Amino acid sequence: MDLIKLNDHLWEIPQTGAMLVPGRVYANARMIEEMRDDPALTQVANVACLPGIVGYSLAMPDIHWGYGFPIGGVAAVDAREGVISPGGVGYDINCGVRLARTNLHFNSVEPKIDRLADALFNTIPAGVGSWGAIPGLSIGQLKDVAREGARWALRNGYANERDLEHTEEGGMLAGADPDLISERAYQRGSKQLGTLGSGNHFLEVSRVDEIYDSKVADALGLELGQVTVLIHSGSRGLGHQTCDDYLKLIVRAMARYEIKLPDRQLAAVPISSPEGKAYLAAMAAAANFAWCNRQVMMHLAEQAFLQALSITPKELSFELVYDVCHNIAKFEEHSVGRHQQLVCVHRKGATRAFGPGHPALPEALRPIGQPVLIPGDMGRYSFVLVGLETAMRETFGSSCHGAGRLMSRMKAKREAAGRDLRAELNALGVTVRAHTRAGIAEEMPHAYKDVAEVVQVMEAARITRRVARLKPFAVIKG
Amino acid sequence: MPTRPTTTQSEDATLFREFEHTGDLGIELTAPTRGELFRRAAIALAALLVERASVAEIERREVAVEAEADLDLMHDLLTELLVLFTVEGFIWRDASVKEVDRSLRVTLRGEPFDPARHPFRGEIKAVTYHQLVVENSPDGWRSRVIFDV
Repeated sequence: MDLIKLNDHLWEIPQTGAMLVPGRVYANARMIEEMRDDPALTQVANVACLPGIVGYSLAMPDIHWGYGFPIGGVAAVDAREGVISPGGVGYDINCGVRLARTNLHFNSVEPKIDRLADALFNTIPAGVGSWGAIPGLSIGQLKDVAREGARWALRNGYANERDLEHTEEGGMLAGADPDLISERAYQRGSKQLGTLGSGNHFLEVSRVDEIYDSKVADALGLELGQVTVLIHSGSRGLGHQTCDDYLKLIVRAMARYEIKLPDRQLAAVPISSPEGKAYLAAMAAAANFAWCNRQVMMHLAEQAFLQALSITPKELSFELVYDVCHNIAKFEEHSVGRHQQLVCVHRKGATRAFGPGHPALPEALRPIGQPVLIPGDMGRYSFVLVGLETAMRETFGSSCHGAGRLMSRMKAKREAAGRDLRAELNALGVTVRAHTRAGIAEEMPHAYKDVAEVVQVMEAARITRRVARLKPFAVIKG
Repeated sequence: MPTRPTTTQSEDATLFREFEHTGDLGIELTAPTRGELFRRAAIALAALLVERASVAEIERREVAVEAEADLDLMHDLLTELLVLFTVEGFIWRDASVKEVDRSLRVTLRGEPFDPARHPFRGEIKAVTYHQLVVENSPDGWRSRVIFDV
């Protein structure tokens, strides 16, 4: 792949063939060498062929080979002339991360880590099927969830107003139409509200072990030694089935709109077409399910803390710092060249990272910029960042979303063979509770890039800045 | 009497092969006939979900799919089977395939999924279209499928 170095952390894929815009990859020299032969770069070029794409087909430093879009890809298309691609959102619609803080210091929790990990593991269903977090919901109730998102959780005692203010889009994406979610998708999601799932999803209890920007950390209520909870999950079976339903429809409809793309998984139709509108309304409904899911899980985590540590809600002071989604398509105003333009931003494994002063941010966060939550692997650390003004000019207000995989799941399992990963993680100070051994093996720390390097590239490019680092000490996995 | 489990992972290895994909999970299959290719795909999915040797052939389920192209048939069949597992909680050990024009009728033999007895290998979210291949070559039928996990 032909790459032009623009500076130490930005590379360009020149516009060739059917590409409508050039590609741009945020990475350092070492990362670029590592990814030079990776199919992910070809995928960045393929995304640049989407009709209506503006600016650049972007890749964040945690980019890796996905299906259709690369994981870590951002593409903005003109809201009127452009196309919508379900593959540019992914099967796990509104997969995302939320961070809650507590009033507890690590020292007071350390003697009770096992008890806490057990309580969380027993309270929050994880792994295959994983159901039964809250009483089973009827289709009518599930439609309410799809319409209202985290607001449903508020009405049902799983949230407070402050939680919603600190959730991207207030936990409810406008334009959702629950009637455009199939019965099968509702069946897949019916018992899954408040469940973690498996794969790379997790709940991590960490302590703040480094502060990079004390002013912003103060504003977010973060301090050294403080115990925090990071939850990574999405829209579960309901979202997976919704993506699948519409992808099937759009793959077949694409020919009608004379759209030709290098990969079937990129299948796209005009935003203004009936299929495009239907997908966007269904996607919003699935996104709302995901926000409600993470909100319910946060509530369950709070209950587990109270029970395991025998403390009062006031002593715990469990509060949401922020909730971000990293698999989504959203209509936003951005500057394209010299003009402001309404675009549909596909973020596939990328996080919105609005800079200070953006009107979409709640008043309390507006002066500092949007918090961006970047989980690392379970053995090292995760980061809290904030969006900077440059992100608005260069990346459609987007940043990275995680560490990015280094090894395939197969390779990770081979490397893990014969090793006691639980003991290894224990030696790193991490207590793990997981349903399957394979789940730990595939997600072992060395299967991932070092997330510190990823966030440093974004900081060098002035897209996001580090605020705090979180060191995990208890991890719950499917 | 339920059939006693006798399959092993090495037996599965003769039916399909996993290949390296950074984020997801890919399989390659070959078969002497078209019907056998779809049968092996069905078995491969079961083997990716659970340790197939633990599944007893107690009940039967039927799944039918219809599509113009073999690519769509493969995608739609595996998706139907994934739903059979995730919604109905049914896991199978073996399958047989009947080809009728542009449709497939697949009979699955297995039992209700029980995590206590069927060691789970990992969640599969979906069957993707990415680099999906179904083709007939001089050496026989061949397919390649990438799953989102």
